[in-house]
Amino acid sequence: MAKLDNIIHQPVRLQIMSSVLALDPDEQVDFVYLRRILNLTDGNLGAHLTKLENAGYIKIEKTFIARKPRTFISATGKGRHAFNEYTAALKQIMGGHEES
Amino acid sequence: MDISRQDAKEFLNQIDTVQNHTRKSIASSYDSGLLILWGLIWVTAFIGTHFFVARAFHIWTTLCGIGTIITVLVCRQQFRLGNPTKFSAAKKLGWRIFWFWISLFAYIFIWLSILVPRTGIQVNAFIITTIMFAYIVIGIWSASSYMIWLGAVVTCLTLIGFYLIPLSYYCLWMAVTAGGVLLGAGLYLRFCWR
Repeated sequence: MAKLDNIIHQPVRLQIMSSVLALDPDEQVDFVYLRRILNLTDGNLGAHLTKLENAGYIKIEKTFIARKPRTFISATGKGRHAFNEYTAALKQIMGGHEES
Repeated sequence: MDISRQDAKEFLNQIDTVQNHTRKSIASSYDSGLLILWGLIWVTAFIGTHFFVARAFHIWTTLCGIGTIITVLVCRQQFRLGNPTKFSAAKKLGWRIFWFWISLFAYIFIWLSILVPRTGIQVNAFIITTIMFAYIVIGIWSASSYMIWLGAVVTCLTLIGFYLIPLSYYCLWMAVTAGGVLLGAGLYLRFCWR
């Protein structure tokens, strides 16, 4: 039976992980930009990012650029691995080998 | 966790959609403004040259000077504040592209002094195709397929204008095609590429 990761499977977190995983491994996305492209609120995005960070799937870096606070998000190696496992599980289900 | 085959397909489609949207949004946020700017400059300069050919040099140097200053300011500002993403190679790549453009323009002047083109249209077609060559190189470098296509399409349109269009219509042809393609690509990236 293909196992789906509960942390990633939540719809908003799936969007966040998909978006962050679209970047290059050494690339980080701005919090405000991510909020805009995913059409989320500050609170909603923040809460789900915290869950993903606690799971070790993403890294959140707070910094100052031109004296303004900026938050950047990137996927960790563990996050990339978990996401790949998740998509592999979906493909397995779709392929009909483990259909529920 | 149990989900159906149909649900799995929908989740995979959703992942694909979000990833495409993210990549395209980021690419368009970097490039669309500058493409619109240079598209407008080319359209204006070519139309100006068509109607005031004696002032072509002044039209081009003035507009390209203004365009270069705005480009440098926009890139500097984007670099400092507005980048949607940050990555360790960004600074290096930005400087590499900057020095690539500086070297290219230095070499354009060297090549022009060696080749000594006879007409303004030769100079123009030479500079436009060299800039499009740079687009293709940067596109290959930064894995931006649309820059490669843009460079190739504008090069072909310039060659058509140079070899097949009557000389008196060359500037109008270039305003509509080459300038239009840059402007159109910028507007498409900004507003439609989702």
